[in-house]
Amino acid sequence: MMAPFFKFGLFGENIGLVVAFLVGIGFGFFLERAGFNSARKLAAQFYFTDLTVFKVMFTAIVTAMLGVYWLSVLGVVDLSLVYLTPTFLVPQIVGGLVLGVGFVVGGYCPGTACVGIATGRIDAFVLFVGIFAGVWGFSELYPLVSGFYNATDMGQLTLPQVTGLPYGLLVFVVVLMALGGFYGAEWVEKKMAAGKKAEA
Amino acid sequence: MPNVITNLSLNGRLAVVAFALGVLALFGGNPYKGAGASVNTKELSIKMATGADQVDAATLADWIIQGKADFRVVDLRPEAAYAEYHIPPAENIPVAGLVDAGLAHNEKIILYAEDGARAAQAWMLLTARGFKGVYILHGGLDAWKSDVLFPRVPGNATPAQLVEFAKTREVSKFFGGTPQALGDSSAAPQMAAMPKLALPTPKAGAAAPAKKKKKEGC
Repeated sequence: MMAPFFKFGLFGENIGLVVAFLVGIGFGFFLERAGFNSARKLAAQFYFTDLTVFKVMFTAIVTAMLGVYWLSVLGVVDLSLVYLTPTFLVPQIVGGLVLGVGFVVGGYCPGTACVGIATGRIDAFVLFVGIFAGVWGFSELYPLVSGFYNATDMGQLTLPQVTGLPYGLLVFVVVLMALGGFYGAEWVEKKMAAGKKAEA
Repeated sequence: MPNVITNLSLNGRLAVVAFALGVLALFGGNPYKGAGASVNTKELSIKMATGADQVDAATLADWIIQGKADFRVVDLRPEAAYAEYHIPPAENIPVAGLVDAGLAHNEKIILYAEDGARAAQAWMLLTARGFKGVYILHGGLDAWKSDVLFPRVPGNATPAQLVEFAKTREVSKFFGGTPQALGDSSAAPQMAAMPKLALPTPKAGAAAPAKKKKKEGC
């Protein structure tokens, strides 16, 4: 049986929604278990006192990368059929900054806001109202910003394409980056904890 | 050494696994099987214009009767249609699996479906992937039926046409078809029952001497 299942017609759009729902529940579950239903935990990332967000996200990236890489090398997944979000470089940088500012101000990103609501957080609910206000505002302004929105279209880009390095080497490099990042993150957390004790 | 691993925390063990998979990935190769392709549009357009991309039904029938084995016939239709009838030596490969079906790049491959369109799409796919000897059965299975299995001649045929038909009739019989009686060409063609699937054994005399392929490099 080859994946991606949807592309190979194993199930249709309707079942696809059910699968997406289950995947979403799983995603939310692990965000909650990582403690991401709390804006305090998330904000601590930006004060470098708790780098759980960094560690969880990088773990997810490395796990997914190794999984996708090895499954396709073993012939279980056809990587050429996996959808990649196309790169629109400048709009995505600007969009990323807007999201980052919202993250710092509100204490949640969209996904964690859902998790926050599910566990009854009022601040997450308020942030979600903001998200929808933003979506509505963007939709209304879309004719004005569509030129910028579609600027610098670079298509579906991957690191091997950009760097010209072999896939396997990049997998190895990203794993090294992640492990180094985890080690560095723990070191920073200890340092910050020690600094706090010294202040007290 | 075992102590080093058992003493690790869960996170540490996962890190070791990730590291090991990362190191192995150095030798894992490219996960993309290369679904992309590029074509020489000029070369293709010339092939199309000159008809060098097509084989007609009568020619294919001759090849089969002569016992030629230097080509493969691929039936692109759904399995059910293939099971019902197919040109005797054809194998059934649906379009979705065509590129990965293990056809060799230097083989002579003749594609057919009901009519020309599906085969032309498949031809494009294979040609784009660098297959050199791909041909479309001109007119598809419809042409095979009208030209080979159930050939007809017009009632006012010239002697030359009649001589030609005598040959066509033999071809038709070879494939278990039914040559249509000489008659009014405006009458609806009477398609007799489709022939059985078994490939008729080539007559000993008719078969061309099988040429053995010489292995290169001796």
